[in-house]
Amino acid sequence: MSASAYASSPSLETLYCDHHGWLQSWLRRRLGDAADAADLAQDAFLRLIIKPAPRGFGSHGEARAYLRTMAQGMCVNLWHRREIEQAWLDTLAAQPLEYAPSAERQAIVLQALHEIGAMLLELPPKAARAFLLAHACQMTDKEVAKDLGVSSRMVRKYIAQAMLRCMQLQARSTAIDLIAPNRA
Amino acid sequence: MSATALPGTQPDPAEPPHQAMEQAAEWYALLRSGEATEADRRGWQTWLDSHPDHCRAWSYVEAVSRNFDPIHTTADPKLTADKLWAANTRVLQRRRVLTSIAGLAGTGLLGWLTWRHTPLPAMALAWAADHRTATGEMREVALPDGTRAWLNTATAFNEDYSASQRRLHLLHGEILIETAHDAQRPFYVDTAHGRLQALGTRFTVRLDEKETFLAVYEGAVEVRTNAGASAVVRSGQQVHFTPDALGAPEPADVAREAWSRGMLVAHNIPLSEVVQELRRYRSGHLGVAPEVAGLRVFGNFPLHDTDETLALLSEALPVRIHRRMGWWVSIEPKAAAESTSR
Repeated sequence: MSASAYASSPSLETLYCDHHGWLQSWLRRRLGDAADAADLAQDAFLRLIIKPAPRGFGSHGEARAYLRTMAQGMCVNLWHRREIEQAWLDTLAAQPLEYAPSAERQAIVLQALHEIGAMLLELPPKAARAFLLAHACQMTDKEVAKDLGVSSRMVRKYIAQAMLRCMQLQARSTAIDLIAPNRA
Repeated sequence: MSATALPGTQPDPAEPPHQAMEQAAEWYALLRSGEATEADRRGWQTWLDSHPDHCRAWSYVEAVSRNFDPIHTTADPKLTADKLWAANTRVLQRRRVLTSIAGLAGTGLLGWLTWRHTPLPAMALAWAADHRTATGEMREVALPDGTRAWLNTATAFNEDYSASQRRLHLLHGEILIETAHDAQRPFYVDTAHGRLQALGTRFTVRLDEKETFLAVYEGAVEVRTNAGASAVVRSGQQVHFTPDALGAPEPADVAREAWSRGMLVAHNIPLSEVVQELRRYRSGHLGVAPEVAGLRVFGNFPLHDTDETLALLSEALPVRIHRRMGWWVSIEPKAAAESTSR
């Protein structure tokens, strides 16, 4: 272990030399795409410049654990973004042509789907499903209960739970907007 | 608005207390369930009005709900939601493989309060009052001595006339009084916060939760708070008082009296104040998006038909009226849906 310990908190340059190659191949194995892997590896180091790890790194192992966690999050985000875009294209394809919304409207819906999708990922699956049906499809508790195969009482509980969690996420992102309104 | 706000009046970025957030989420779940009763809605309104934290917490319910608006505009919201759900499910599966964590569900972290129904003594008293109006209703009544009283929305008062005095007890809401002359019997209006004695006059009394508001349009009124402080308020003046504090008289807002003719007269007041006023005439929730709350409003609006007033506002200002559910209406920027780039 002592061989892989950093004498002092390493510079970004050192980190890049030591870990970039490893991170890129780690990503390529999971994403199955060299171009995506190169992009995300680059993004990961960009993030380290913008927001360095709070306590620096004492060893190779620590640096890799940190980068791995960050890369996992980035993979999920990338998959999620693509899945949602595909879902929206499928939705459009399933509709008669005369309903085709304007490009601007499409962008708004897509943005909303990204936000809602990300919000739902943070919820327990049943609560997420209940919340989506109730809110997006404006179904009553009875209708949602039928879809989920649970009691209406349970649906009520799921929806309150989901709403609370979303409110907290919203509060947190509002606080970030107020503190750093110009973040990219 | 925000450009001229003092540093101390910036919106508080701190999250409302957890309990308020939890209650807001509970109310939301109940009200949208399809099983909410009129009593539930009233209970919710009382909860909303009972503390500023509750309003702040509810604003987050609104913000979360707004995220879903674009889905409702799609040709088939159910289809859109199903496709979104399928996409999320696939991502969740891949995430599980990637992180080898069986879900990140936060169940068990949330303790739910047993729901407590607040008793509504003021409401119950008002139901049994001699004279009352429902929310959105305004009425004129003639009292036995020829005094005329206009009851504003959601108002209740008792009439207590005897050989030695004429006394009205305001339980809820607002009354405009035009007293008839009677040298033998003084005319009083009592509220939870103190007593008003009319000295030949036309005045309005509004009872709020924490204070009484008095505006005198003709003659004069003597105010005596429960604690004993007193002052004579003259024509063209208004005051606010609590049981133990009597505010300094200010010039009366003459436009306010227009409610007795069923009008809301707005002269360069912020939309948020108009909304605050309209809320008294509507049951259910009327929200206003922060981006448009500071727009200045001019004009005369009918109070007996607040839907019409909302329609007029949406013509005069760059706002649109969004009906989330029958009882839940919000005023939002007109272009919001078209130019959002969050």
